Amino acid sequence: MTGPSGVGIGWRPEIAGFVAGLPGLRFVEVVAETVAPAGPLPDGLAELRGRGVIVVPHGVKLSLGGAEPVDPARVAHLAGVAAALGAPLVSEHIAFVRAGGVEAGHLLPLPRSREAVAAVVANVRRAQAELPVPLALEPIAALFDWPDDELDEADFLTEILDATGALLLLDVANVHANACNRGGDPAGLLDRLPLDRIAYVHVAGGAEHGGFYHDTHTDPVPAEVLDLVRELCDRRRPPALLLERDGHYPPATELRGELDALAAASGYPVVT
Amino acid sequence: MTGRDLAARQAELVAALVAGGPLPPGFAAAPVEAARRALLRKRAGDVARHWPLLAAALGDAWPATFAGWAAGRPTNGSLRDGWDLARELGDRGTLPPLGAEELAAREAASRYDGRTAPRPRRLPAVARAGGAVAAQLAGRVRLLRPAPR
Repeated sequence: MTGPSGVGIGWRPEIAGFVAGLPGLRFVEVVAETVAPAGPLPDGLAELRGRGVIVVPHGVKLSLGGAEPVDPARVAHLAGVAAALGAPLVSEHIAFVRAGGVEAGHLLPLPRSREAVAAVVANVRRAQAELPVPLALEPIAALFDWPDDELDEADFLTEILDATGALLLLDVANVHANACNRGGDPAGLLDRLPLDRIAYVHVAGGAEHGGFYHDTHTDPVPAEVLDLVRELCDRRRPPALLLERDGHYPPATELRGELDALAAASGYPVVT
Repeated sequence: MTGRDLAARQAELVAALVAGGPLPPGFAAAPVEAARRALLRKRAGDVARHWPLLAAALGDAWPATFAGWAAGRPTNGSLRDGWDLARELGDRGTLPPLGAEELAAREAASRYDGRTAPRPRRLPAVARAGGAVAAQLAGRVRLLRPAPR
């Protein structure tokens, strides 16, 4: 398997033209739920595949952290998208998005408890059994904690990764957001995570609202997040880093500037 | 641990965040409330992408209009959420002209019963919303009459 490498960007229909025009680009990520495995690929994605650009499907609705078993149809969809894109791996979150038949419409945090570890591990194994490629797991950003955590974040994540053999999709913006909102030392967390298991890294912008740092993906990447990219690369440079932008798309020059800043912080070649 | 299982506790948390349920025991109220509001903002953005004319017609009032309708109402997906909201604004007589035209076009293109996913119409159809009239023939939708400004 040749996984993603260098600097990439989240492919979204709104910026497909911008992404297609990046000469050095070697990988992108697409939200898996927006791709129909049997149908034609979205305009622009097929062209990127034709250029040899790696496309990683990124699931957001699997609910691997749900107490109920993961929906086999959703796993089959993710597997189908991976096959349709010839992807070397897929990714999903350590989170739940529905419970009791109600959709949250968002990634929600789990208690850092043994019971939650067991639920995630069971669902990840169910998914891995059906997926044609490795799965990378992404810890999420959240504004609140559950009242009964038994483990800290590093132990919680490491237990899940050890039990499943899954790769790590580390989001440094999530690390920053969690440190702002829930406390903890972001650099200290980097010291304790299995950085050798990182498949790639997410970087995104956010903003302060009402005393909380919101990981909006619609704001510029703050300096603190780029500092964290440098901290991470000082310890162990991940194979790839990806900029996520999900709305309020800025002019192309600003988006290029964000990609260049990511290249500068990581030491990877510029893709613009 | 509280002794109650994870499934029930996850359901309580989701209900508190999107269905108007009470704050589950032990959670800090302010951060959960901030998350509830952030979720409404995110949903408003997602629905605006599916209903660009409706959102644009409401302009600065869009986030509050959407949040007022969506609070306590779990999502059925952005397409249906926007559809339900547009119909309700139509019933209230507060659907702006651009939103009425967008709704009429959607109603002409697809059959939506308000309970399950909209399905494309196979037969020709004419639909009205807020004074706008749209027609669909062989899958092509045209606005026959704009909504009164």
